[in-house]
Amino acid sequence: MEPGDTARPGSRRVVGALPPRLLPLPLMLLLLGWGLRAGAAASSSGASAEDSSAMEELATEKEAEESHRQDSVSLLTFILLLTLTILTIWLFKHRRVRFLHETGLAMIYGLIVGVILRYGTPATSGHDKSLSCSQEDRAFSTLLVNVSGKFFEYTLKGEISPGKINNVEQNDMLRKVTFDPEVFFNILLPPIIFHAGYSLKKRHFFRNLGSILAYAFLGTAVSCFIIGNLMYGVVKLMKIVGQLSDKFYYTDCLFFGAIISATDPVTVLAIFNELHADVDLYALLFGESVLNDAVAIVLSSSIVAYQPAGLNTHTFDAAAFFKSVGIFLGIFSGSFTMGAVTGVVTALVTKFTKLHCFPLLETALFFLMSWSTFLLAEACGFTGVVAVLFCGITQAHYTYNNLSVESRSRTKQLFEVLHFLAENFIFSYMGLALFTFQKHVFSPIFIIGAFVAIFLGRAAHIYPLSFFLNLGRRHKIGWNFQHMMMFSGLRGAMAFALAIRDTASYARQMMFTTTLLIVFFTVWIVGGGTTPMLSWLNIRVGVDPDQDPPPNNDSFQVLQGDGPDPTGGSRTKQESAWIFRLWYSFDHNYLKPILTHSGPPLTTTLPAWCGLLARCLTSPQVYDNQEPLREDDSDFILTEGDLTLTYGDSTVTANGSSGSHTASMSLEGSRRIKSSSEEVLDRDLGMGDQKVSSRGTPLVFPLQENA
Amino acid sequence: MRRQLMAGKDGDRFQHQGAVELLVFNFLLILTILTIWLFKNHRFRFLHETGGAMVYGLIMGLILRYATAPTDTESGTVYDCGPLSFSPSTLLVNITDQVYEYKYKREISQHNISPHQGNAILEKMTFDPEIFFNVLLPPIIFHAGYSLKKRHFFQNLGSILTYAFLGTAISCIIIGLIMYGFVKAMVSADQLKNGDFHFTDCLFFGSLMSATDPVTVLAIFHELHVDPDLYTLLFGESVLNDAVAIVLTYSISIYSPKENPNAFDTAAFFQSVGNFLGIFAGSFAMGSAYAVVTALLTKFTKLCEFPMLETGLFFLLSWSAFLSAEAAGLTGIVAVLFCGVTQAHYTYNNLSPDSKMRTKQLFEFMNFLAENVIFCYMGLALFTFQNHIFNAVFILGAFLAIVVARACNIYPLSFLLNLGRKQKVPWNFQHMMMFSGLRGAIAFALAIRNTESQPKQMMFTTTLLLVFFTVWVFGGGTTPMLTWLQIRVGVDLDEYVKEDPSSHQEANKLDKNMTKTESARLFQMWYGFDHKYLKPILTHSGPPLTATLPAWCGPLSRLLTSPQAYAEHLKEDDVECIVNQDELAMNYQEPSPSAGRPPTKLSLDKKASPQTPSKENLYEGDLGLGSYELKLEQTPGQSQMD
Repeated sequence: MEPGDTARPGSRRVVGALPPRLLPLPLMLLLLGWGLRAGAAASSSGASAEDSSAMEELATEKEAEESHRQDSVSLLTFILLLTLTILTIWLFKHRRVRFLHETGLAMIYGLIVGVILRYGTPATSGHDKSLSCSQEDRAFSTLLVNVSGKFFEYTLKGEISPGKINNVEQNDMLRKVTFDPEVFFNILLPPIIFHAGYSLKKRHFFRNLGSILAYAFLGTAVSCFIIGNLMYGVVKLMKIVGQLSDKFYYTDCLFFGAIISATDPVTVLAIFNELHADVDLYALLFGESVLNDAVAIVLSSSIVAYQPAGLNTHTFDAAAFFKSVGIFLGIFSGSFTMGAVTGVVTALVTKFTKLHCFPLLETALFFLMSWSTFLLAEACGFTGVVAVLFCGITQAHYTYNNLSVESRSRTKQLFEVLHFLAENFIFSYMGLALFTFQKHVFSPIFIIGAFVAIFLGRAAHIYPLSFFLNLGRRHKIGWNFQHMMMFSGLRGAMAFALAIRDTASYARQMMFTTTLLIVFFTVWIVGGGTTPMLSWLNIRVGVDPDQDPPPNNDSFQVLQGDGPDPTGGSRTKQESAWIFRLWYSFDHNYLKPILTHSGPPLTTTLPAWCGLLARCLTSPQVYDNQEPLREDDSDFILTEGDLTLTYGDSTVTANGSSGSHTASMSLEGSRRIKSSSEEVLDRDLGMGDQKVSSRGTPLVFPLQENA
Repeated sequence: MRRQLMAGKDGDRFQHQGAVELLVFNFLLILTILTIWLFKNHRFRFLHETGGAMVYGLIMGLILRYATAPTDTESGTVYDCGPLSFSPSTLLVNITDQVYEYKYKREISQHNISPHQGNAILEKMTFDPEIFFNVLLPPIIFHAGYSLKKRHFFQNLGSILTYAFLGTAISCIIIGLIMYGFVKAMVSADQLKNGDFHFTDCLFFGSLMSATDPVTVLAIFHELHVDPDLYTLLFGESVLNDAVAIVLTYSISIYSPKENPNAFDTAAFFQSVGNFLGIFAGSFAMGSAYAVVTALLTKFTKLCEFPMLETGLFFLLSWSAFLSAEAAGLTGIVAVLFCGVTQAHYTYNNLSPDSKMRTKQLFEFMNFLAENVIFCYMGLALFTFQNHIFNAVFILGAFLAIVVARACNIYPLSFLLNLGRKQKVPWNFQHMMMFSGLRGAIAFALAIRNTESQPKQMMFTTTLLLVFFTVWVFGGGTTPMLTWLQIRVGVDLDEYVKEDPSSHQEANKLDKNMTKTESARLFQMWYGFDHKYLKPILTHSGPPLTATLPAWCGPLSRLLTSPQAYAEHLKEDDVECIVNQDELAMNYQEPSPSAGRPPTKLSLDKKASPQTPSKENLYEGDLGLGSYELKLEQTPGQSQMD
């Protein structure tokens, strides 16, 4: 472990950088050599430790140091994997190779390293001793042990089921690269989910909100039940054949159904993004997958919480069932409220302080508030990941408008990088876990059954729901869209994280293995087949979101009062449900003005009797907008941006042409006409669209935004 | 079943507590941010954000200490295990048929046990000290390295290195000696048991106390645009200082003579010195190796088409430098520091403009958060840490010692440096440097790393108090001190330039002489080597290697030179053109500030530039970028606006 020695992998990589296909091997061998030596050092220090107690203490110290070193090595392994992935992905993107997404690649590299770690490192036995101490009656988080006059502090790491004690004493290196599953939930998933919420394409998302909610809630429930029932059948079959060696209850099947219902079509979405596939399809798929995750998490935790009262714990019990449903609703709404509330608080803070003079402080506040959401929800017993999702949506909807231009790009880029790293980390860990996880239970019948089940579950979810939705939608979901959605039922990070969370029982281990294989299969095969599928299904690509909404412009003009367009009116009515329209107008008339600098001034939208309150809540900039004399240049730019967003929204809001709304809009419109002409307005709209598009394509050169 | 449920609940509570604890920190940071905004908005400069974070931490610590009831008293019960003769790293405990896995954390000495039986919340609020070294400090240090003002830094490199290496060693020894005197006095005054406090302990204290961290002062300098030379001297010193202090502390702590721990042992001493040099050189090599790899990767791949991938790669490789140094038994933080310096010097030039912004902002943000977390934690630790030993004599002695040591470090060294420097370090600068000997995050992190024995606990308490005092009093007194010492403020780097724009052309020859007198031959050689070989190899800028390398390695040089270096005129790519345009524009302002002493090569090229514009421009463009970066740093808000 000389410095020169460690520098070598680096230089090796430089040479290998030109043909990246060749480079992993020497690098990994070196890494492996490292691990071996570290392991050998640990074991040799351990061997000498048997002599005297003084020597042993020294050995323990050394061992702690050694373990820190090994921690570093294992993290380094992952980081080098990610580096490799980035370089290869660059090559693929450069050559426009689309059949393998970065996540798929990360998994492949993970697999390779997993194989090396599994079969290349010797099994070193730890010095674990099982002893029986009679004093304790429950487990404490810290344990002070008196060993011949010296006191040692031990911290609780986890509970081990009796069957696995032998496994604990296995390969040290494999144990090092196995993370605590809670890491996924507490560190890696939140940025991914937050980024998803933060980058929901707002306009298209809200336009399809009804359908998305239907797919996410009803669809997930349907898919969960169908998969659960099918799997129960498979399990029964396995029992008959004699393949099952342990218990497998109906609730376990349902649990499996819940975790495997979390779709995660990153691969497909990335390709859509790159090819500019139809925006509506994109919004449907993306919205569904994002909300889907939230539903699946809460669903799986409420299934776990299903505890019938009687002796037989796995029969149907109405009370327990309703309690589970109650838990589902409670957790979901609690997390939702928590996320929305912190989003609103952030919006208010950024609105009423002039924090935007200091983008760094603003970004930090934004980040901390969003993280607080997660922690707060966890501390209150809700689901942090769900709270973070809704916090992200709220932040994007309100707070984003209050941020300074620089903070906008900073927050976006920050979460983009975090999301990218976390996602690829999870996928490479998946590859690694196939070999390093030591309790796999491969059961061919179960795996095949699961494949059939997810296929059927997806079909039973998309086609009937699309049929029902088409009854109500003006803009029908075409057959090719339905097929594409059916096809994009990839499983990813969320299913994996849910499955790895609990791998104590036999049933859960089998589920974990199956989930892993399903993820591999779907990401590689289904993800790789996206481009052929798109052309086969004749889905139009190369749709620029800017060009998309000529019909929208019509309805926009309706709003401007250029003459009521009856077809437009009826269309909007059919498209969005009444409740959504109500929400739109409420949002536009009250929430937006209260929480952001945009929207009509509250003094005009609120009734007269709360004039005082309205005056104090409306930001001065809104009034300023109405006065032509504005000196501050940057302010002008900012408000311009805000206006854009307002108008961008109002294209959506256009659908709900309620009375007060039109009034306020026309008021604004007249004010605009005073200062500028309709063209400005159109240009504004264009700018809004551009913003949306740049959010969708993260690799767009962001300076264009300001140009 | 029921028991499992209980255990599950226990785990749940465990996790919720973790969430609550983090939430407290989040909340404190949010408060700090809002307060700081208020202060900044009103141009109130007495309290820096780090000071504010400490105040809030203190308040929260007070509340936690006195408002929460001791809850979990049982957790501290000591168990005797007869069959165990040594302490294994993993302990499997069988509690009524349920096996739990426990992980070895540390050894606790006898007298520390009782506090462990105290308040569970206080216990929870105490981080593992390794977190500072593995999570919080690396971004701070990397950011410091990454944002070293390159031009002024290299201009003053000799002085900075002297202050950092010699100065830290002097300060360490002087503090150690003074403290040893105080300890002896305390022993004779019966305040301390004899034999507790060795000379090595005193030296240890001296080395950890030598890590200065004038964030507060530097922030004010930055805001007021104080003389860049003073800024660079202070900043460079504090950054390198940290690295030296960390390695020094480590080598003192492993100094273990064979027989008598108090006696001087030559072999052990030289082993320690060898350790110091080995670790320092190893970490330096590791850090720069990773940075060089990054530079080569970004140069030879067209990764700049995808700024996100580029940023990701940059981040990951910089992190790898830390991890591999740790894995190899070196000091990760030092590696990260040099990695940052090298990245700024080479890789930065290869990044796309978008990535430049992104990496800067990313590390700035991480630095901000990590720094405030540490200072918050310091405030909190004053009340939540349960093994404080307040010893008035020791604290007073330490205070005296750091003042004396700082004086012994700055004044003699400045005198010596002034003998060699063309641009003298004036008296008011020296006083200011003397005054800016604040202690901060590094000293705290080094002190909290080991709080097992009584001397170490006493040191920890003293360090904490010194940090408080210096940050609040010295930090708050910076603005008055600046006016009192009549140090000019409001020096804009660009204006600084315009003072003597015309004199530049004639100054070329003068420059040559000046450079010679001012920077030692060694540095000059380095400049030449860097400019002629390293820059062209690692970045897109500089003269093409084919021109600088001897003819016999022609193929190699052609391979390594990036096409951009010669194919200047036949450039179609639009984006690239803009970038270069940018470089060029910046460029013209550049030579004049360094009129003081640009490297000889530069001035020659400047003369020739009108005739052969393209190549020369590019060549200067590289230095110009440096100044562009400076501006970026100063006004992060503006640069994006336009």
